[in-house]
Amino acid sequence: MPQTMEERYAERLKRYVTAMRNGKPDRVPIRPFVAEFAAKYAGYNCQEVTHDYEKAFDAACKTAADFDWDAVVGNMVYVWTGLTQAIGTKYYAVPGIDIPADTGFQYREPPEDEAFMRPEEYDELIADPTGFLFNVWLPRVSADVVAPNDPATYRSHLAFLKGGMAMLKYFYAFGTQAARLRAECGMPGAIAGILKAPFDILADKLRGYIGLTFDMFDRPDKVREACEALMPHLLHVALSGADPEKNLPIAIWMHRGCVPFVSFETFENLYWPTLKPIIQEIWKRGHQVLFYAEGNWNMHLKSFAELPDGSIIYHVDKADIFEVHKAIGHKFCLSGGVPNYLLGFGTPDDVRACCKKVIDGVARDGGYIMDACAIVQNDATVENMRAMTDFTREYGVY
Amino acid sequence: MTEPKDEHIKPGVCIPWEHKVKELPPITGDAELVRRVWEDNEALAYTFIWHCLVSF
Repeated sequence: MPQTMEERYAERLKRYVTAMRNGKPDRVPIRPFVAEFAAKYAGYNCQEVTHDYEKAFDAACKTAADFDWDAVVGNMVYVWTGLTQAIGTKYYAVPGIDIPADTGFQYREPPEDEAFMRPEEYDELIADPTGFLFNVWLPRVSADVVAPNDPATYRSHLAFLKGGMAMLKYFYAFGTQAARLRAECGMPGAIAGILKAPFDILADKLRGYIGLTFDMFDRPDKVREACEALMPHLLHVALSGADPEKNLPIAIWMHRGCVPFVSFETFENLYWPTLKPIIQEIWKRGHQVLFYAEGNWNMHLKSFAELPDGSIIYHVDKADIFEVHKAIGHKFCLSGGVPNYLLGFGTPDDVRACCKKVIDGVARDGGYIMDACAIVQNDATVENMRAMTDFTREYGVY
Repeated sequence: MTEPKDEHIKPGVCIPWEHKVKELPPITGDAELVRRVWEDNEALAYTFIWHCLVSF
């Protein structure tokens, strides 16, 4: 008798959660973070799924229904540019407007002298981060929002009104999307909630990477105080989106806090001490964190090993996954290890060989989730995604 | 965990209830209800600005 969608959902969720707890499920779960790949598969271009989230949701459902995976994100093309346009956000390159319609959206970091936060503004941020964001940061990142002492404008009012309502509408739609994936595809969600490291937020959205690099020499104490001031807010944001059932992990998107973007000392003295307590607090409240370690963080595995067993799931991008497994595989579940270039430009045989090597090397005792190294965009071929899926289903049985 | 410098401006709110209540006449009805609803709406504004920063 064929399984009902609810039975499939329960089976997949159990498989996924067992692996995330570093246990051995019935077979290796598959959880690819498919973004623009889903658009391509469903017949949409990047503009369509980035600017019309209903199309992105449809694409995610179609892909989830056709591929035998164990968990997906409701919409991995997460930035809805309809929302950012309503707010007037200036730092996105939007498909079909700023870049070709079939190129994924891009972040544009301003030059150092136009950073969204000036070096002399640390004290203002530290004293009241939320007030700083409303009064200083948002007017700078938005083409429409005006600063408090400037004359009020029609467009500024609209940016708040439309932006706020659009965000609410979008977030509510994720709930409906999760229910649809469960009912139509028997598919669990992969993550719930978002976290960024304080240092990364300072670099990405406030001082810029170059500005922050200089600040580390010119005003290191202020950088530390700013990171500390951001910590409780980033914790709050992470927990406010967490899975109430405590099955799905909060995802942290880690990109420029590792060597060689920062020195080893900066990681040890600043990045990690202002991130680790957040992870510990989240774990204390019963949630795992998915470390989406973009790039190569192998210089820092010793630090990650300080965390309690099972508190994180460690996703491997550019690093050697076998080295990672040797260092922390006994403590944490791993995911990733299949290079995106292979999914885009290799053959299905190349993909199968890679999956076999990864499964043989790191999945023997459970605690592994099959995934590409990075978010899957529209350069991945359908044949290669099928090869990764079908091979893992067949070979990854315990 | 480090707390914000102003103990009243905690995560989850933008204008703390302790500030707002000073602007109101004495509450003759259920003060707790007024506080709860104020803070529920505060959370929406807080979510907006912090997700602009963190997610978008």
